[in-house]
Amino acid sequence: MDNRSEVPYGTLDLMVLKTLDTLSPLHGYGIARRIEQVAQGSLELNQGTIYPALLRLEQRAWIASKWGVSDNNRRARFYSITAAGRRQLAAEAKNWSRTVAMVNRLLEGES
Amino acid sequence: MTALRVLISRLGGLFATSARLDEEIAAHLDMLAGELERRGLSPAAARAQARRDFGAITPMREVHRDQRRLPFFDTLAQDLRYALRQLRRSPGFAAAAILTLALGIGANAAIYQVLDAVVFRALPVPHPEQLVLMQLVRNGKPLTFSYPLYREMAARQRVLAGTFAASTESVVLRGRRGIETVHTSLVTGNYFQVLGVSARRGRCFTGADDRAAAPVAVISHAFWQREFAGATALGANLQLNRAMVTVIGIMPPAFFGESAGDVPDIWLPIGMQPLLSPSDWLDAPAFSWLKVTARLKPDVSPTQAATALTALYRQLPGLGSPDYQVQLQPANQILAELNAQTAHPLYILIGITAAVLLIACCNLANLLLGRAAARTHEIGVRLAIGAGRARIVRHLLTESFLLSTLGTLAAGALAWWGSRALIQAQAWHLAVNPTWRALGFTAGIAILATLLFGLVPALSATHFDLLPALAANRRTHSGGRSGQWLGKLLIVVQISTSLLLLSGAALLGLTLWNLRHQDFGFSRGNVLMVDLPVEFGPNMASRSNAVRPVLYDRLQTLPGVRSAAFSACGLMSAWQNTGPISSAERPARKTDYTRFTVVTPHYFETLGIPLIAGRAIDERDRDGAPQVAVLSETAAHTLFGGTNPIGRMVSGSYTFEAGKAFEVVGVAHDVRFSPRDPYAFQIYRPFSKSGFPITEVVVRTAGDPASLVGPVRAAIQDLDPSLAVGDVSTLQQKIDSGLVHERMMALLSGCFGLLALILTSVGVYGVIAYAVARRTREIGIRLALGAARGQVAAMLLRELGPLVLASLVLGAGATLAATRVIRTQLYGVAAGDLTTLGAAACAIALVAALAAWLPARRASRLDPMDALRQQ
Repeated sequence: MDNRSEVPYGTLDLMVLKTLDTLSPLHGYGIARRIEQVAQGSLELNQGTIYPALLRLEQRAWIASKWGVSDNNRRARFYSITAAGRRQLAAEAKNWSRTVAMVNRLLEGES
Repeated sequence: MTALRVLISRLGGLFATSARLDEEIAAHLDMLAGELERRGLSPAAARAQARRDFGAITPMREVHRDQRRLPFFDTLAQDLRYALRQLRRSPGFAAAAILTLALGIGANAAIYQVLDAVVFRALPVPHPEQLVLMQLVRNGKPLTFSYPLYREMAARQRVLAGTFAASTESVVLRGRRGIETVHTSLVTGNYFQVLGVSARRGRCFTGADDRAAAPVAVISHAFWQREFAGATALGANLQLNRAMVTVIGIMPPAFFGESAGDVPDIWLPIGMQPLLSPSDWLDAPAFSWLKVTARLKPDVSPTQAATALTALYRQLPGLGSPDYQVQLQPANQILAELNAQTAHPLYILIGITAAVLLIACCNLANLLLGRAAARTHEIGVRLAIGAGRARIVRHLLTESFLLSTLGTLAAGALAWWGSRALIQAQAWHLAVNPTWRALGFTAGIAILATLLFGLVPALSATHFDLLPALAANRRTHSGGRSGQWLGKLLIVVQISTSLLLLSGAALLGLTLWNLRHQDFGFSRGNVLMVDLPVEFGPNMASRSNAVRPVLYDRLQTLPGVRSAAFSACGLMSAWQNTGPISSAERPARKTDYTRFTVVTPHYFETLGIPLIAGRAIDERDRDGAPQVAVLSETAAHTLFGGTNPIGRMVSGSYTFEAGKAFEVVGVAHDVRFSPRDPYAFQIYRPFSKSGFPITEVVVRTAGDPASLVGPVRAAIQDLDPSLAVGDVSTLQQKIDSGLVHERMMALLSGCFGLLALILTSVGVYGVIAYAVARRTREIGIRLALGAARGQVAAMLLRELGPLVLASLVLGAGATLAATRVIRTQLYGVAAGDLTTLGAAACAIALVAALAAWLPARRASRLDPMDALRQQ
């Protein structure tokens, strides 16, 4: 129907980490908005799915969270990346680039 | 590392709620809707669009929840809630199951706790492996040490780290709680140093206490609690055999001395010996009375030490003898042998309780099998809609584990109480503390029991074809072949184990009966016996001689007294006097085991011991009269080979000595001195001025002997208020007090046998009642088609007949094999006694028939129309 694709498996965590690396601290809605903006409409994101991802990252101590107040004076949970999270992001990003490069080489070779 | 962090945070998540997520979702939706409104949507449309953009909330919440917590615990909590609901729906079943488990597991745990304390009992000293008992041995016969010998050996030896001597003595204490006999240990001053222990309060003895004959005492913790009720004892005086001693130390609770055999209440310096005895043994080389214990040097082997000590002993001038050698026996080994002896009846008891637990588990398994069968349809539905078999087994097992957890908690309390009651009943000196071993044992048997009674029915309940289970739209399905077969197997195990327990209980019960009711050779009715504890000391003989004739006359004239007499070391006495006895024809032998009893006139008459020939000891036999003796039948027969013994001479030595002989004036019927005592060599002699003091007063009463307890006690105290009067009881009570162990074994095995019988009858009842419920429709058809009611009942009972028969045959085999273990405990009945076995089998068959007859009769009285309409 359109050129929007679903979130590739396993990349949401990476996207959340990268977002928080750029803009910490940020609440769940802000993270979702930021990912959608960067994707410029090419990503079909069910915004709710970032909450399990946030929990997963927090349980691994890659991000931390505390209560704060949003722009429109609403109480919200603000997330920020930890030092361990930055290390993890670096490793994941390198991994991702390698995977993409490998897949690209494969696809170019095929055609 | 990360995995651990996740686990910890998830464990924390178990207690958290979803409030935080809810608030985050709400905030998210608000902000999203606000943004949409700013872009021009109406509030309602913005709200709806926000919900769409956010995505499905419920699945997300579930994912979040599973990730936040540990799903295992959620299922467990779910299963537990369900199991609790199931149990609440049948409280009778739950209560019965928990009670059965509590009894079964509790009894096992109680006995294990005592067994654990016995088997792992160690000497309460540092490095007990270095301690050895030193003995002088000739031809395998050990001899104790005299004090001069010990002193010389201890001073001259070079191979031991230290050595001490000790002797246990019974001493009369005139304490705050009246007169009692206490265990004391006379020890050399270095006793506590060599053992390496110190007092909990005050001080122990030193070498100085040894020589100074200082009247001081160190008391055990238990004695301190008993006598002083935990109040200050240091500096207090104790009157022991009329000598005063001052308490200088209290030992810690765990200390029981150098051997577990006689646990002393009081330790006294060896220098006090002359104050507590009629004569001074301290400088008597001929008087062997001390047990010597040594601590080995770490670098000297026991063999080296024994060789060196033997050489030293043999060359001691005037003390050593080349015939003897010194042997060293490890104290640990002596204790281990004692522990094994004490543990033997406990192994029997734990075997009994394990069997009871097995029966209880079979019973529960059968009940659960019935419940699972009733839920066949429900389980079928669950399996059909995709539940895994493992998940359903786990679900059913949760119910079992809930039951066993509740049962085990109750069992813990029961075990705590039971182990203490057992130790108290046996008067053992044991500290029962919950050890890891005991806890592990209890947990182990609880888990084993749960698997036994829970897993088997759970597996069987989930193992069937789905289609018939679902197709038969009935609440009571037949439960499958395997269920019925299993139920029968469980019944067989129950009945055969019950037979084993009941036979064992019958054998132990018969043993007690035989011991109590055997012929003791005297007539026990209406005889009162008063113990007069001997207060050994320098003036003992003169005091006893002064009071004897006056008291004798006084007691004869007491109202209600038929006859009265005194004895020293007589029947049922706490004291024994043994020695050799020989005639001109036959020298004494070590194996004769002759007892010497000193008696006054009327002794035989008072105790009802029949005289076979000649006369009794009577008024003629006063001091200065010709030396006479009365023999027991066995002694007379052995010494004189069937010829008339009256007027012949015997002497109290291994070979006959005419100069020290006394004349046999009578022969009395053989008597037993205690329940398990064989009829023995026995010689009665009259009292003399130089001999033993009175140790017992015996009184034959006209009426109830209990009514004379007070007057007899008062008469003695009137004559000599300083005389210590001990236990006053009837001869039957005396006999019974020697049967504490036998009574406990009979009582416990009887109770457990009865419990087994009850559990088994409940099991049989359950199986038949279940069969009736299952076959109600069939029974209805049979009745409607004209079957007689008796036929219906017989049909149900016939199902049980072969089962009972098979179980009894199996059980009989097991009984014949297993009761051999208790044969040393038995008396007057053989381990493989077929009459007992037959009687037990009949009792079980009868009980099983009765248990089965109740539901069978109910089935035969069914109204056919109701039965057919039921489903």
